[in-house]
Amino acid sequence: MGRDLMFQQEIKDTVQQAYAAITSGGGETVARQLYSEQELAEVPPGAVEWALGVGNPVRYAQLQPGQTVLDVGSGGGIDTILAARRVGPEGHAIGLDVLEEMCERGRAHAAQAGVEGWTEFLRGEMEDIPLPGGSVDVAISNGVLNLSARKSRALAEIYRVLGPGGRICMADLTVEGELPPEVANDQSAWAG
Amino acid sequence: MAERVFAGKLERAGFTDVWVGGHRPFGIDQAALYPLFTPEVIQIMRRTIPADHQGHVATGVIVKARKPR
Repeated sequence: MGRDLMFQQEIKDTVQQAYAAITSGGGETVARQLYSEQELAEVPPGAVEWALGVGNPVRYAQLQPGQTVLDVGSGGGIDTILAARRVGPEGHAIGLDVLEEMCERGRAHAAQAGVEGWTEFLRGEMEDIPLPGGSVDVAISNGVLNLSARKSRALAEIYRVLGPGGRICMADLTVEGELPPEVANDQSAWAG
Repeated sequence: MAERVFAGKLERAGFTDVWVGGHRPFGIDQAALYPLFTPEVIQIMRRTIPADHQGHVATGVIVKARKPR
C-alpha cells in the first residue's frame, strides 16, 4: 500500500526486512550483465548467486596492491572479493553490511575464494561506519547509497573514514524526473 | 535521486573531482531480475510507466570522487 511519506526509520526497517527475507540474489543472469567472464571466474558461485548490485565499481576503482578498501553494503561479498584480489595480501578488504547474515555469507565466500586472510566483514550501518577516521584508501559501493534514508550522512561517514586523497567509487541508479506515485511510495521499490 | 543531486551531495560532503560515467539504462525487465522488487511492484511499474519509458526507468551510473589531501 502506498503512502505519501515514509519516515527514515520506516525506510530503514523496510530495507532491512526486505534484504533479510530474500533467499538469493539476482544470480548469474544479473552477474553476467555486470561482470566479465574473467571477473566471475575470480569469485565463488555463491557470491555470484548473491549478486545484487547495479554496476561494477571495482572495474573503475583503480585499486592498487597494498591499499585498504571498504565495500559499503557488501551483501554476499562479490565486490569485496574482487577488491581483495586487486589489493592483494599486503592490502586489506573490508565488507560492511547491516545484516549479520550477509556478513556471514561474505565471510564464507571469501574463504572459498581464498582471500579470507586479508578480508573481513563488519556488521554496521553506512550512516555510522565502525571504523576509525582516515583508515581507508578507497571506498566502493554497489547499489547501496540509494537504500539510505540519510544519504548525506552516509556520504559524510565515508568521507570521514577515507584518508587524505582517498577515493570513492560507487555504482548506483539515478532517476531523472518523477516516478509514478504508486511506484515511488511502494515499500518494495524503496528496497529495490 | 537525480544525477545532479547525487553529485551535489558528494560535493557538500567535501569530495572533489566528482565524475559520473558508465551510464547504462535500467528498465523494468532488468528490475524484475532482482528479488527485492516484488512481482506486485513490477506489475505496478508496467501499468503506470508509459510503454516507451519502460526500458529506461532509471540509469545505472558509476560515480567517482576524491577526498582532498
